[in-house]
Amino acid sequence: MFEITRYEGRNRLKGSVYLSAGMALLAALVIWVYPSFSDALGGDELLEAYPEEMLRLFRIETMASLEGFLAFELYTFGWIILLGLYVAYATAGVIADDVDRGRMDTLLAMPISRARLVAEKFAAISVPILIVNLLTPPVVLLGARLIDESLSVTDVLAVHLLSIPYLFACAGIGLLCSVAFDRVGIAQRVALGVTFALFLVESLLAETDYEELGAVAPMRYYDPNEILLEGTYDLVGVVVLVAMTVALLGVSQLVFRRSDL
Amino acid sequence: MAAIELEELTKDYGEVVANDSVTFTVEHGEIFGFLGPNGAGKTTTIRLLLGFISPTSGTARVLGQDVREEGSLLEAKRRIGYLSDEPGFDEQRTGTDVLDLHASIKGDSRRDELLELFDPPVERQIREYSQGNARKLGIVTAFMHDPDLVILDEPTNGLDPLMRQRFADFLRAERQRGVTVFFSSHNLSEVRRLCDRVGIIRDGRLVTIEPVDALLRRSGKVIRIRSADPIPIDALDVEGVHDLETSVSDGHEGADPSTAFTECLFTFTGDINAVLERLADYELIDLAIEEAPLEDVFMRFYGGEDDV
Repeated sequence: MFEITRYEGRNRLKGSVYLSAGMALLAALVIWVYPSFSDALGGDELLEAYPEEMLRLFRIETMASLEGFLAFELYTFGWIILLGLYVAYATAGVIADDVDRGRMDTLLAMPISRARLVAEKFAAISVPILIVNLLTPPVVLLGARLIDESLSVTDVLAVHLLSIPYLFACAGIGLLCSVAFDRVGIAQRVALGVTFALFLVESLLAETDYEELGAVAPMRYYDPNEILLEGTYDLVGVVVLVAMTVALLGVSQLVFRRSDL
Repeated sequence: MAAIELEELTKDYGEVVANDSVTFTVEHGEIFGFLGPNGAGKTTTIRLLLGFISPTSGTARVLGQDVREEGSLLEAKRRIGYLSDEPGFDEQRTGTDVLDLHASIKGDSRRDELLELFDPPVERQIREYSQGNARKLGIVTAFMHDPDLVILDEPTNGLDPLMRQRFADFLRAERQRGVTVFFSSHNLSEVRRLCDRVGIIRDGRLVTIEPVDALLRRSGKVIRIRSADPIPIDALDVEGVHDLETSVSDGHEGADPSTAFTECLFTFTGDINAVLERLADYELIDLAIEEAPLEDVFMRFYGGEDDV
């Protein structure tokens, strides 16, 4: 077992380190600008100038503390949007790219079931998800200490830990696209489109009559503001995200088993 | 139980029927050639046999396992080697990485022996591979776990003549060991050198299936005649004469080229004695009877309908 995961995981190692370095750099940058930002504005005055929709879109609750600033600048923007889109995009390639480039025949000629192949390839996406969440927290905590701001170590670790099921759910969206479309370009574009659309639905429809539509979006179940500002962890959300991931994986396996390659 | 059995195997893509009720059997220990031009349906048959696509109707069994049942086909795949017509490998990985992956899933008891024989540059990244090198690596992956049945799609595409020869020798030795080989090709001389039996496919339909020597016998001879004096063309009005070409050489200005000849060339599928009897009264300078090239045999199946 896990021969394909090990193999694919190694393929992702280098890219994952670059990705993590990039995200760590973003974290360092956000923390570095925070003191001058908070000195200049001294509170949430700037927020009042923004339209309500804008604040809701980027889930900006407060910029008056480093936690609030990080929740929006790093975790909403970097994790929910950027990483969410990245894993959906990357996972959209795992099956479609092999089919597109004629590698799938060589793989499936081996005694390995299609369901197992999908599961093992999906599991390999854990490499970037885990590495980026291992590398960034030390940078955040060290950065906060350097600018003399206090941050709860537990909350920072929690915001990363709880992002893992969120990112897997986004990867699940990509996986389903990967088995549904045999052209990798289309699979990746649809994965990006769907993930971003879900983000917009959840963010823009919040507190409207259509709020319930956002229930299908993974973004509803991961809230960095809540974790960093209030120190509460939405474990039900975690369960929902895990269930979403398992469901997306199961459907992807089913689709792939039935498809002509 | 045969190594491969197809029963009215059909793959209908709507606008084209890629395999139309194809039925044949490949016995254990034979080398079976699957011949046809590009687009005839060879690759479709192979991909049906390996479960990459599912049949519209009909069925097939490889090593006794139904290709429509994933679980049972997996059992068969442990003992099957496969080489795709365009073997695809991860560009950024080395040949060794690819072989290690295959080894971890299906075993590699013959890896070293095969690497010595075919020698792909395993330490290099696949992106640097030529078509021939990718094919060599593919051959190693197809045989490394010592399979009982190998399915090869155009295996010698991109190989140089030396490697082709080595591969042919290797396949013959494999047959000696009891391995069953099913390979598709449009390279006729290769098929003729290697195969015990040949199936010919055209437009998704199996046209014929027979031993290679029978195919050659049935396909007839090429006969070339040069005579001292003009011979009436009527003399060759014998059953089995095809594609007759005649001419009158210089020095026989009196002869009418539309009714007589001094030189001719034709393909003959009848009784050779009938022709010799007709020619007995004429003085010949030269008479050559040769086996028809397989290319011509092929043309008979693919050319016009009239000669089939």
